[in-house]
Amino acid sequence: MFNSVRQVIKEQIEHRDLILRMSIFEVKGMYQLHYLGSMWQFINPIIQISIYWFVFGLGIRGGQPVSTSVGDIPFFLWMLMGLIPWFFINPSIIQGSNSVYQRINVVSKMKFPVSLLPTIKITSNSFQFFILMVLLLIVLMIYGFFPTIYMIQLIYYIVCMFAFLFAFTLLSSTIATLVRDYQSLLQSLVRMVLYLSPILWNPAAAGVPEWFTNILKLNPVFYIIEGFRDSFLARQWFFEDPVYLCYFWSLTLTLLIIGSRVHLKFRKNFMDYL
Amino acid sequence: MKLKVEFKNVYKKFPMHAKQNDKLLNLFSINRKKQRMEFAAVKDVSFKVYEGETIGIVGLNGSGKSTVSNMLAQVIQPTDGEIIINGETSLIAISAGLNNNLSGIENIKLKCMMHGLKNEDIERLTPDIIDFADIGEHINQPVKNYSSGMRSRLGFAIAIHTDPDILIIDEALSVGDSTFTDKCLNKLNEFKKQGKTIFFISHSASQMRTFCDRVIWMHYGENIEFGPKEEVINNYVKHTKWINGLTNREKRRYKNKKLEEQNIVNSEIGKRQKTKYKVLPIISRISLFIPLILFGALVLMGY
Repeated sequence: MFNSVRQVIKEQIEHRDLILRMSIFEVKGMYQLHYLGSMWQFINPIIQISIYWFVFGLGIRGGQPVSTSVGDIPFFLWMLMGLIPWFFINPSIIQGSNSVYQRINVVSKMKFPVSLLPTIKITSNSFQFFILMVLLLIVLMIYGFFPTIYMIQLIYYIVCMFAFLFAFTLLSSTIATLVRDYQSLLQSLVRMVLYLSPILWNPAAAGVPEWFTNILKLNPVFYIIEGFRDSFLARQWFFEDPVYLCYFWSLTLTLLIIGSRVHLKFRKNFMDYL
Repeated sequence: MKLKVEFKNVYKKFPMHAKQNDKLLNLFSINRKKQRMEFAAVKDVSFKVYEGETIGIVGLNGSGKSTVSNMLAQVIQPTDGEIIINGETSLIAISAGLNNNLSGIENIKLKCMMHGLKNEDIERLTPDIIDFADIGEHINQPVKNYSSGMRSRLGFAIAIHTDPDILIIDEALSVGDSTFTDKCLNKLNEFKKQGKTIFFISHSASQMRTFCDRVIWMHYGENIEFGPKEEVINNYVKHTKWINGLTNREKRRYKNKKLEEQNIVNSEIGKRQKTKYKVLPIISRISLFIPLILFGALVLMGY
């Protein structure tokens, strides 16, 4: 049952050096024809943050702070804690799923493990994520929120996020190569997930019935985003909600098992399906 | 002599799909049709190649040369039969996987990286590759602006510097001009002396004569002759002359007859349907979802 998972993970570990070098290359190449170069890595999120803050924070909420179990938080900060992981999750899912299709022509002509392609996309997006995280910490401190002991579990939630993205893009990149319609569907679904996760609005405070919030909780992005907030705001430890924890990991593991099986089954014949 | 490459009754069949939907159904082998038409691009090809040999592959357009070369490079897998390859292969085709948006230099770096070379090696090899490709200032331009000749020069230069021991050259030399071709042939002769195995795919009988040891003649998917170069090339040239001598109608009739022979009716799918499903794997597959469903239900109920 776990043989294929082991093989896929072994490939990642053996080629970790290659993954890192190719991701750096990817980041360099991404904005090559742009005059502002890799500045776009920060201009893009700033533009999006300001429009979301304007529409949701000032427009819909009228500048009201978000009330949480640890007191009121300015909406701007509350939103940033969700948006910054989202700026990483969103492109990683979209680009990671497309990575095999995009590169199969180049890669199939040499001995190169195809399972690295989604990981390379995730890694290349993670540089921007870590810089934005540091900036977020600075902003939080300016507002007077200093790191607590709960910040340690941020490491756990970052691991969760990478594990989920790896498992999901492995499966999804295989499907996207075999069935092209899937990529278009995925793009719409991911846009939907942005609004179904507690990123721009807080379902708990918005008067949504509890059963509906429970449905929203099935979305793994919900778990990750709330986990980030728990760590920043010192709300609770990750083991205080064992059922949700088990749900998230059984989902990730199931995706990983199916993903690596399907990937290994089809990867020799990817060229035939183009 | 060490065996380098062996083809054992290799077939490559492409299903003739009427619609995109059929392809998808086929993927999950739930095609209910008992029979399916297939086109055999390569039909029952067997040969053995030893270390240090240079093998030419000749044939008309659509005779399966490129399919064989792709199978040699392990880009595609055979449908039936077995391929044994002892060594690292490197395929050089006209559009050999260069990234169009990156510049020449970046393509060199990226491809070397993907071949598993270390950073120091890449630094060391890059000047050699630039020198060999000899495309001047264009090396800093994106590859999409290159002419086909420049592209094949760059592809060729990269491939021969990654130190493969089995080299497959798929008509890549027919694009470059004669000075570049000479340079390549010199380099290939060097490889020959080092005992590397080279597959050389070309229409050009004269290049084959000067360069190859043995020649494979592919004809409508079949390997109809494999032997010393003079014999095979003479027969091949004789055959093309005979075809050129035919009237248009005879040509068409001959071609249709040959293509007809490549169509195969595959009835295997009907057989596969009859095999009984085993119970155990299905149970283990279902049990995979049990924890997910269990915890999902708990989350839904708000535990």
